[in-house]
Amino acid sequence: MREITFIDAIKEAYEEEMRLDADVFMVGQDIRGGIFPHTKGLVDEFGPDRIVDTPIAESGMYGVALGAAQEGLRPIVDFMFGGFTYYAFAECTVTTGQYHFLHGSPRSLPIVMTAGVGIGQRLANDHAMSIHGTFAHHPGIKVAMPSTPYDAKGMFKAAIRDNNPVMIPWHMGIMMLKGEVPDIGEDYIVPLGVADVKLVGSDVTVLANSLQLQNTLKVAEKLALEGISVEIIDPRSFVPFDLDTVLKSLAKTNRLVVVDEDWESGSFANTVSANVMEHGFDLLDAPVLRVTLPNMPVPGGYMEEYIAPNPEKIEKAIRAVLA
Amino acid sequence: MKLTKAQKVKLFVNLVRSYHYDKMMYRRLMQGKLIGFYHPAGGAIAPGVGACSFLNKDDNLNPHHRGHGITHMISKGIDVKTFLAEHTGKETGCCKGRSAWHFHYPDDKVYQQSGFIGHNFAPSVGWGWAAKRRGQNQVVMNCSGDGSYGEGRAHEALLMAQNWKLPIIFFCENNDMAIFSRSSEMHPTEHISSLAQGYGMDSVIVDGQDVFAVAEVVIDAIKKARQGGGPVFIEAKTMRYQEHDIGTPDLGGWEARPDAEHKKMREREPVNLATEQLLKDKVLTQKKIDEIHASALEEIAHVETYADSCEIARPTEEELLADIFVD
Repeated sequence: MREITFIDAIKEAYEEEMRLDADVFMVGQDIRGGIFPHTKGLVDEFGPDRIVDTPIAESGMYGVALGAAQEGLRPIVDFMFGGFTYYAFAECTVTTGQYHFLHGSPRSLPIVMTAGVGIGQRLANDHAMSIHGTFAHHPGIKVAMPSTPYDAKGMFKAAIRDNNPVMIPWHMGIMMLKGEVPDIGEDYIVPLGVADVKLVGSDVTVLANSLQLQNTLKVAEKLALEGISVEIIDPRSFVPFDLDTVLKSLAKTNRLVVVDEDWESGSFANTVSANVMEHGFDLLDAPVLRVTLPNMPVPGGYMEEYIAPNPEKIEKAIRAVLA
Repeated sequence: MKLTKAQKVKLFVNLVRSYHYDKMMYRRLMQGKLIGFYHPAGGAIAPGVGACSFLNKDDNLNPHHRGHGITHMISKGIDVKTFLAEHTGKETGCCKGRSAWHFHYPDDKVYQQSGFIGHNFAPSVGWGWAAKRRGQNQVVMNCSGDGSYGEGRAHEALLMAQNWKLPIIFFCENNDMAIFSRSSEMHPTEHISSLAQGYGMDSVIVDGQDVFAVAEVVIDAIKKARQGGGPVFIEAKTMRYQEHDIGTPDLGGWEARPDAEHKKMREREPVNLATEQLLKDKVLTQKKIDEIHASALEEIAHVETYADSCEIARPTEEELLADIFVD
């Protein structure tokens, strides 16, 4: 199979879905020019009426998507950086999440929201914060984040076809990661709500996603040399979350580490930990351990790496849960 | 545009219906027969009637929150039986009884209600954008109050609407009151419509107590927007007889509104003004006017009977949880 980068995989998903469905369009800021490569060149094929640049006004920009979705179109909104969603937060979370349920509407809103997130660029808090946990807190929105080029293409395609709102950020730290992806036009999707065992193991289960999944794979390789067998599960989706796959793994390993590149407070890691306690307490031989960002604004510059989850912290947590 | 006799009659009928619907809602809340709260429309029923009586079914509408949008929606021709059913928690409510006071009439392009003042601006841009893209001459009637123009979203919407020449009517119903704060205190200019100048948008100010005057400027603005002429800002100067929502104090700033202010406002009651004019112009007789009132009251009695006869919605938590997403 051919290999392409993670960011090109996302771009291919846009291209294929926009060719299939004339109702799909993108709205963002400078997506015609392409701040990031996933939108670069799309305007040449689809034109400025489907690759729509707005003024720097996030609520109004999101409003294009919200109103158009109510009118039956299928928008993709690119916020550029995850933190910028906060300028349209009421619309993205409350208005969008409650639309179908609270109005008893037969329809939901088929809106895809995306943005680059994560550490690694040393750009500090507003450009580095994660948003998956915050969005997952708000009912009515599906939340997913891919970790490989194959998943990126398949999950973005699934998100675009979904009749519900989906927030699907992508991690800037794996933008250029290469991986196998089927040829262009060879249709496949990766369904939302299904976790994936990225490495089969037997001693400990680690739940990790995106850049932290890549970090965990490195740690697992190192520990294998010592005879420690790590099973790695990629949640892929946070809402809906595939708890069964985690419980099935715990029946084998009895130990869980959750790596989540988000602030500890109110995080997805905490939700998983609580769910495992409630639904899988008897499977556990040790308390669930978490590797997260500490509760502080993410510093920029060199200081970013002092506080971020990394292979050393993941290894330490795995050794602790096995001790 | 000068109104025809038939147009004047239609406006008057909708005005009278609005007047009695608002009174009914007020009465029912006081009687404990309405769930939640009610933000009365008294004094400010003419702008919505003038704005919405000549919209097409496929035109988008965001009603003003005052009167919970009822004056706008009945004027657009929406059957609002299910509106009262929603306000009474019934399973036949327009939101399946899930929302108390929100409304949702997607077939008539009224999509959403929200407690966030100014929520209308962001989706209005999307409705206008979709309308322009489809090219089927739809317009967006985007109604909200003077207070909503404090929101940054209002300015983003004005910017994008004018930038893209979207068919949106920014219809500001200025009743001089944002909750308890006077418009003159919260806005630097006398007229909210002055904002339009900054965006190079056409604007017009109209007497919001005169339903016929409102309709005349609205019809012209809609015609312009339908022809691709872009958005228009209409400011209808209106008033608010009652408190912000029933049960809160009736204040101007932090002091009780003086009796003299109330007395002066009532002199310009829109139903009275319209009645006088129609009698003077011999458009309607007093007998015909009495029939219009009687017919409105009969319609409302049917709506109440319907809502009261429906069952309270009692889904289980599991049933509700199963309806967060669609397939």
